[in-house]
Parts: sequence; C-alpha cells; structure tokens
Amino acid sequence: MSLGEGQSNLPNPFWRMLARRDVLAGLLFIGVATLGLWLSRDYPIGTALRMGTGYVPRLLCWILLGLGAVVVVQGLREAQDVRPLSSADFSALRPLVFVTASLVIFGLSIERLGLVISILLLIGVGAVAARALRPLETLAAALVLIVLSWGIFILGLGLTIPVWPEW
Amino acid sequence: MELLHNLAVGFGVALTPANLFFALTGALIGTLIGVLPGIGPIATIAMLLPLTFHLEPTSGLIMLAGIFYGAQYGGSTTAILVNLPGETSSVVTCIDGHQMARQGRAGAALAVAALGSFFAGCISTTLIATFAPPLAKVGQSFGAPEYFSLMVLGLIAAVVLAHGSVIKAIAMIVLGLLFGLVGTDGNTGGTRFTFGITELTDGIDIATLAIGIFGIGEIITNLTQPQETRGLVAKKITRLWPTGEDFRRAWPAVLRGTALGSVLGVLPGGGATLSAFAAYALEKRSSKHPEQFGHGAVEGVAGPESANNAGAQTSFIPMLTLGIPGNAVMALMIGAFTIHGIQPGPQIMSERPGMFWGMVASMWIGNLMLVIINLPLIGMWVQLLKVPYRFLYLAILLFCGIGVYTVSNSAAAVLLAALFGVLGYVFTRLECEPAPMILGFVLGPLMEENLRRAMRISSGDPAIFVERPISLGLLIAALALCVLVALPAIRSKREEAFQE
Repeated sequence: MSLGEGQSNLPNPFWRMLARRDVLAGLLFIGVATLGLWLSRDYPIGTALRMGTGYVPRLLCWILLGLGAVVVVQGLREAQDVRPLSSADFSALRPLVFVTASLVIFGLSIERLGLVISILLLIGVGAVAARALRPLETLAAALVLIVLSWGIFILGLGLTIPVWPEW
Repeated sequence: MELLHNLAVGFGVALTPANLFFALTGALIGTLIGVLPGIGPIATIAMLLPLTFHLEPTSGLIMLAGIFYGAQYGGSTTAILVNLPGETSSVVTCIDGHQMARQGRAGAALAVAALGSFFAGCISTTLIATFAPPLAKVGQSFGAPEYFSLMVLGLIAAVVLAHGSVIKAIAMIVLGLLFGLVGTDGNTGGTRFTFGITELTDGIDIATLAIGIFGIGEIITNLTQPQETRGLVAKKITRLWPTGEDFRRAWPAVLRGTALGSVLGVLPGGGATLSAFAAYALEKRSSKHPEQFGHGAVEGVAGPESANNAGAQTSFIPMLTLGIPGNAVMALMIGAFTIHGIQPGPQIMSERPGMFWGMVASMWIGNLMLVIINLPLIGMWVQLLKVPYRFLYLAILLFCGIGVYTVSNSAAAVLLAALFGVLGYVFTRLECEPAPMILGFVLGPLMEENLRRAMRISSGDPAIFVERPISLGLLIAALALCVLVALPAIRSKREEAFQE
C-alpha cells in the first residue's frame, strides 16, 4: 500500500510533517510527561536525602520531556519519505473501537450480569471488529467459549465469578 | 558435590505428582497458544499469567516456566509448517525450516528443531545450576548504589541490543518506570498518579498492563492488517526421523547454537530472539555451502532453534540471581514472583532452596516433555493451525478479559486493560517497541527504593554512585554502550545486523 494516499488527504505541509511516526511518538512522550508534571505539581518533592513522593516521578517526567523533544527533532530532520505513515494507519478505527468497546462492556457487566451474559456481549460486540464473521458462526463461537471458560475458570480453577445475573 | 545435592533437592520438588502435572499442563498450554500464529510469547505469558496466580507459588512458577518454553517451541512449529513466525525468535526458522517443509521434509525439520532445542535445554539448565550460586553470592555483596547502577546498565543494555530507535526505546523505559510508580509510595505513604481512583492506590497490576499492551494491542494490530492466507504445506506429516545426512550436518550447528545462545541469553536485552538471529548469521558465515541457506539448509534450522532455546533458558540466570530482568518475558516472571509475595534476588536461593532448585529441575523435565508433546502429537498441532484467526481472536479477547478480571476480581482492571490495549496499538503504529516499557515498569519501584537507600547512605550526595568502584564500573559500561550506539560506524553495522 503506498503512502502517498494517506498523506495526500492532509491539507498542508505542516500537517504532513506532523503526521510522521517519530514526530507523533515524540509528541506523545511530551504529552505524557507534561500531564505527569501537572498531576504531580502538588506532590512533596523533598530533598535528595529525604525524597518526597514527588521527587522521582518529577525527575522521570523531565527526562521523558527531554527525550520526547529529541525524538520530535529527529523526526522533523528526517528526509521527507523515509518511513511515512501508510493509509492503513488511519483505517484502523473499526477494530480499535469494537475490540476496546467489547472489553469495556465485559468489564462493566461481569459482576452484575454474570459470566454467561457478559461473554455473549463480549463476543457479540467483538465480532463486529472483524468483518469476516457470520451471525451463526459468532453464536457458535460464543457457545463454545462459554462452555470452555466455565470449565476452566469455574470448574477447574474454582474461581468465584458470578455465572448468572444476580437478581 | 553441592551441585548434585542441590539438583537432588530440585528433582525432589519437581518430581512430585502435582508439580509434574503443572509442568506438563504449562508446557501443553504454552505449546497450544504458541502454535497459533499472531500471538507472541509475551502475549501468551501475559494472558496465562492469571491462571498461575491461584496456585501455590512453586507450582505456579513451574507452570509459568512451562508455558514460556512451550510457547517457544510452539512458535517454531508454526514457522516451519506455515511460514508464519508465532514469535520473533522463530523468524529465522521460517527461512530454511519452511523451505525444508516445502521439499517434503517437514518431519525432519520439526525433529531437528525439537531435538536441537532439547539438547540446548539440557546444557543451559546445567549452566543455570552451575553459575547461579556464585552469581547470587556476588549479588549479595551489592549495596543499594551498586544495585541502582546495575539496573541502569541492565536497562540501557536491553535497549542497545534490541532493534529500533534507541532514544525511543529509552523513552519507553522511562514511561514504564513512571507507570511503575502509580499507586501508593511505600516510603511516604503518599499516592501518585491515581486520578482519585481507589483501584489504582495499589498500583497497576503487571498482568493488567501486559495483557493490555501485548494481548489486546496485538489483537487490534492483527485485525487492521489484511487477512493473511495461510499456506499450510504439509497436510500429513510423514517420516519424522531425519536422515543420517541431516544428523551429520545438524549436530555441529546444534553445538554452536547452544554455545552462542547460552552466552547471549545471559546478557541484558539478550534472550531467545537475539540468540536465534546471531546463530543464523553464524551458521551462514561458517558454512561451506552458504548458497544452500534459504533453500532448506538443515543447519539453518538446527543452529537458531538450539540457540533460541538456550538463550531463553539462560536468561533466567540474571533474573533468578540478581532480580534483574533481561527481557520482557523475564520482567513478567518477576511480576509473577512478586504477586506470590516473593522478591526475586540473590536471597531467593538461600531462603527458598526448594523453590529455586525445583524450578531449575522442572526446566529440564519440561524440555523432555516438550520433545514428547511436539513430535508424536504434531498432528494435533497441525489441526490447530487450521483454525481461522476470526475465531481465534475472539477466544484470545475473552481469555484476556477473564484473565484480567480474575487477578484481583476487579472490573476496573478490565477497563484499564482496554485502555492499555489502545495504547499498545498506538505504540506499535508509531514503532515504539513496548517491550522495554515492561522492563521499566518492573524495575521502577525497585530503582526508586535503591536510589533512596543510596542517598541515605551518602547523606544526599549523588557522588556515591561514582565513588564506589563496582557502581562506577557498571555506570561506565552503561555510558560506553550509549556512546557505542551513537557512533555512526557502529550504528550502520547494528542496522545491518538486524536486517539479516
């Protein structure tokens, strides 16, 4: 898949420059570091001898900030088309959204609705992530997986996960 | 004689029916997941980590070790039969192993890989038993400054020997260190980066982080790639036994691979993958028929397969004796120890000899089991290869979900894992290797603790790290590595080495 496609959608050279892997990675590091510094603004720092809660975290955030800046600069200095992002990088929304959603739903439902129903929900939502699955196949997969997880986790390991909804 | 006594203790523990059962179960499940393409060993171990938490510590760790080398073995089966590496360390096995399979010699390739790995496993287990005690003694003489410097060296070396951008990898380590600090500060009792969420006051669980980043992240990455077509070459494997010619050519390669892998495995950042790549390069260079490589040279299977198993095993040495993980898999192992309430380090051998030697002995037993699991049962694994990914990922997704939930019966952990999954996907897309992050995550609290202690010893003077000779030596080594990588000549060589 050639790269120009993904990039040509981007309106101007400035955005195209930003869309490089290294630039984005560096910005991500800088973002996390800044967030960390902001979160830890009230943590007591203490002295080197008696380090407070905030000493090491703030130190690490500053290091991360510096490294992030270096990565951004490296990315900007790179020749135009060394390793640009491909259009595949932008078309990943479907799996990203549905895989994440299925887990979130599973997490929210397992304690209230029990194992069986939350597995059905996870498989139902998760199956949308890949286009390839037919409804009947999905149902069959869900049934097999319910039996399997019940056998392993409840019967085998004896875990205390609610199986059915608690009324 | 002490060695024999220790091994006797170890086999006494490992040969109890329960532990034999867990070693076998671990090896079986590890192979099962390892065979499936698209799930690496880190994701496999992360996903199965919660299963071992509910066992007694020794059994749990024996099972986990079994899962690890099972996954290792399983990966080579997939590499040979479908030309898809189940994991990075079997990438090179694909080259010649798959060619052998195409020529109708799949059985021979599998047998050479299994027997070579078994031989390497025997040697490296002996090496662990021999070198662990003296190394633990060295470790026991280390104070806080030395430990801190050792961890710095370990982290830097892990990055230098891995592939990809060094700066990004160091940034990933720092990110991991930061994640490791989330929760309550053991020294001051203050909470850090918890966003006021109660579940986070105990810190992020390593299983949650690893399952999210590696398990879920990998699923998303795989789904965004076009569906692969799997060309399974051998429907039925006939003739498992290699020919005399195969044997004659394979055994020197096995010896070289074992030696190389054993050495590279101990290095931080070493382990299975590096060993396999180095062994392939060595075989190709030293062969009289380099033109056969890539067209089914048996040495190209025997060398790397022995090396990756040897490397996988000897990477346990720094983890068990010093408590320093050399690669992400060992970091997960340390996480497993910690969850059982055990701090890996030099004291583990003297305080829990049964567990330490039991684990070592079970590695040998596990290797033997793997030969049995892999060769006669190969037909079963071939069947497994036919399961399409669109079913597999649902199963993986579900087991990741249940796994995370069962670690602490916490629904919040599942949500956190989902978040880490997104993060893992973003990292992969931006070519930021997530493996160094796990190293940083495990070492974060330890480094802070040792830094604090060192500062207390020196009354707050950071010069202590360069005044102590051992600590100074370790830091110089770390610095030297950084400089080496930065040199343009070495940099191009390094890229070349990873190209191969």
